[in-house]
Amino acid sequence: MSTMVSHSKTGSSAIGEVRGDIRLGIIGCGAIAEGAHLPAALSLPDVDLTVLSDTSEARLRQVQTEFGLGPIAFTDFHETFEKVDAVVLALPNTLHAPIACEYLCRGIHVLCEKPLASTSKECEEMCRTADESRAILAVGYVTRFHPSTELTRELIQSGFLGVLQSFDYEFGTAGGWATQSGYNLSRSTAGGGVLVVSGSHFVDRMLYFFDSVDVVDYVDDNYGGVEANCVACFRAELQGYSVPGTVTLSKTHRLANRLRITGQRGVLEVREGQSNSVTFFPADVSHKHEIFPSAPATQPEPDFFQLQLLDFLRAVRCGQQPKVNGRQGSRSVLLMERCYQVAARFEETWSTATIESLRAAMPPVLQPASYSGGKTPK
Amino acid sequence: MTANTPRKVLITGATGLIGGRLCEVMALSGDLVPRAFVHSTASAARITRFPLDFYMGDLCDLASVDRGMDGCDAVVHLARGDKRVMEQGLENVLRVASAHGVSRFVHVSSVAVYGNSPPPESASETAPAVRSDMEYGNIKLKQEHRVLRHAKRSGLPVVILRPPNVYGPYAGFTLDLMNKIRQGKMAILDGGRNPCNLVYVDNLVEAILLAIWKPEAIGEIFFVTDNGILSWEECLSAHAALMGASLCHISSADFVNPRPVRMIRDSMRILPRVMLSGELRAVLRQIPAFRSIENVLYNGFESMNGETKRKIRLRMNGPHVIPKVGSSGRRQYVRDNIMSAQARTVAHLSDKARRLLGYTGPISFQEGMKLTEAWLRYARIL
Repeated sequence: MSTMVSHSKTGSSAIGEVRGDIRLGIIGCGAIAEGAHLPAALSLPDVDLTVLSDTSEARLRQVQTEFGLGPIAFTDFHETFEKVDAVVLALPNTLHAPIACEYLCRGIHVLCEKPLASTSKECEEMCRTADESRAILAVGYVTRFHPSTELTRELIQSGFLGVLQSFDYEFGTAGGWATQSGYNLSRSTAGGGVLVVSGSHFVDRMLYFFDSVDVVDYVDDNYGGVEANCVACFRAELQGYSVPGTVTLSKTHRLANRLRITGQRGVLEVREGQSNSVTFFPADVSHKHEIFPSAPATQPEPDFFQLQLLDFLRAVRCGQQPKVNGRQGSRSVLLMERCYQVAARFEETWSTATIESLRAAMPPVLQPASYSGGKTPK
Repeated sequence: MTANTPRKVLITGATGLIGGRLCEVMALSGDLVPRAFVHSTASAARITRFPLDFYMGDLCDLASVDRGMDGCDAVVHLARGDKRVMEQGLENVLRVASAHGVSRFVHVSSVAVYGNSPPPESASETAPAVRSDMEYGNIKLKQEHRVLRHAKRSGLPVVILRPPNVYGPYAGFTLDLMNKIRQGKMAILDGGRNPCNLVYVDNLVEAILLAIWKPEAIGEIFFVTDNGILSWEECLSAHAALMGASLCHISSADFVNPRPVRMIRDSMRILPRVMLSGELRAVLRQIPAFRSIENVLYNGFESMNGETKRKIRLRMNGPHVIPKVGSSGRRQYVRDNIMSAQARTVAHLSDKARRLLGYTGPISFQEGMKLTEAWLRYARIL
């Protein structure tokens, strides 16, 4: 499917033109659509869910029944252009760009699940298409809506920690998402492994915290598929100071699951799931402080996907930029792309040391053709 | 390559410990092409590092299995799951394998078919296995019977492998053992003299690879264990040493045997507590009739004198039990899977696999532990 589409507008929209309820479509009915986007869309009063689209008819029927939805299901997204003002794209990563451009070029606003696309080139095209048709392009980096994200940025940029010395982020779980489509089984549909699937949220936040970030070194365990583990060393710039940082990600084992930013005056820590506050450990003392935003939380346990959708719809109605727009989404894709460009491979003795001795057990006369993945061991 | 030499191998249970490693070894050596049959992508991260031929399917759906086996020359069946997967899933794979005329069907069973107290003659595979006190063993035994029955009926060239506990990177046995040592819940039983039937995951992979193509394997059952006889003392001490721990020595008398459940008496004792719990009442209050009854009962209770109320509460909740600070008393050990395995006196030997398959078990216990340690450090378990 070509992404170089340039049709005239057939949706209603362009920024600020939507009156009354917004006709919303959810394109892709996988686990994230069912668990997060659909409940968020159905919970908002001025949203009219008019389209649910997936290539699997069985999956559409299942979701329709589960949520008691009317006849809004389409197996071909091309049939939905006239029926929506805006769409949430929750598709395999490699489909983001081609399908988003089909909507954007018709002036239909798009909230695209992260990462924005598989390549920075595709991201550029999506942004250009959105600009030309004056459509909103937002990216689903939902952790940006955590108050702890805003608080962290405010504290490090205001000099609360003094001069920053380093940062360290770890996130690892034994296992990952059970996807409906199986898109995360291969590079051609996922666009990457743990860095893209789990790490892209932090890559986006890192770019939000600092003035600029570049990769220094990147190592992973990929043999031509998608990596399950990686360690990336970055160098960030903030207010003229250079800050080194390390990001460690795993889909095979649990890690510390927290961000730590060290400055002259102490350490700021945000644990995974700590969405409403941050923890400060002052240097040279044994106590710690829990810091909350000064504005009280609007709900005790907010639905961040609902807040994300509200932000997108506000942008559609008022013409404001969404919290994470296409340009910001492009920056994180570019940085992840840079990581893959400099990638080296972990040395894993437990994987490779015994291969030669096991080769004798293979059927005779077959020609070996091992997967090198094009990388040198590190 | 001969006409019967397999090239493409369907691996069920490809995201598990053994299936995952088998996929890795095939991919890294490049000698065989695995088709990874995947039920859920949640635990597939280890094998998605390779550009494998993945097939997402459901073993309980015959058509799905049929599509998954298309173009495969051999099958290694490693999938585990609920009763349906263990019975219907296996039946489907056998039927489809026969229909596709695969050159080999390798079924990975377990020494658990002999139960918790294997007979002395089970040192060799010729000893008949019968239903035992071990539920998992009984399921695996039933599977073996199904495989052999099917082979007899259809002529499918099957091989059954019976490994003991599998250790190494990602192994549940290793993780469980390390966890129990860390928590102080592991001890060496009766001097640890009994044989610890273990196999390093790569040694089992070697046996599977040989079973896929060796003509002598057809219709046979093989134990697959590491070389030599390792004692439990050696095994447990080596694991404890990795975290600088030392283990207590205990005798069988130190075991805590859980009190058997007395169905009626225990239910009658616990029922009032459950019925009066705040959580249950909060749910039941959604029923208007319950609210009325609860009000009547509450008013009745409140109208009683203090002493009666106190007696009723005591009857419902029992007396308060306050444990003494810092005196947990004599340490007691629960009879779990590893403790039970320490009581097994039989060493299941791989002589037959060595003779017929050419199995060598190339990884020694010392080497296996070294590789396991490297992985445990990498995975932050050490």
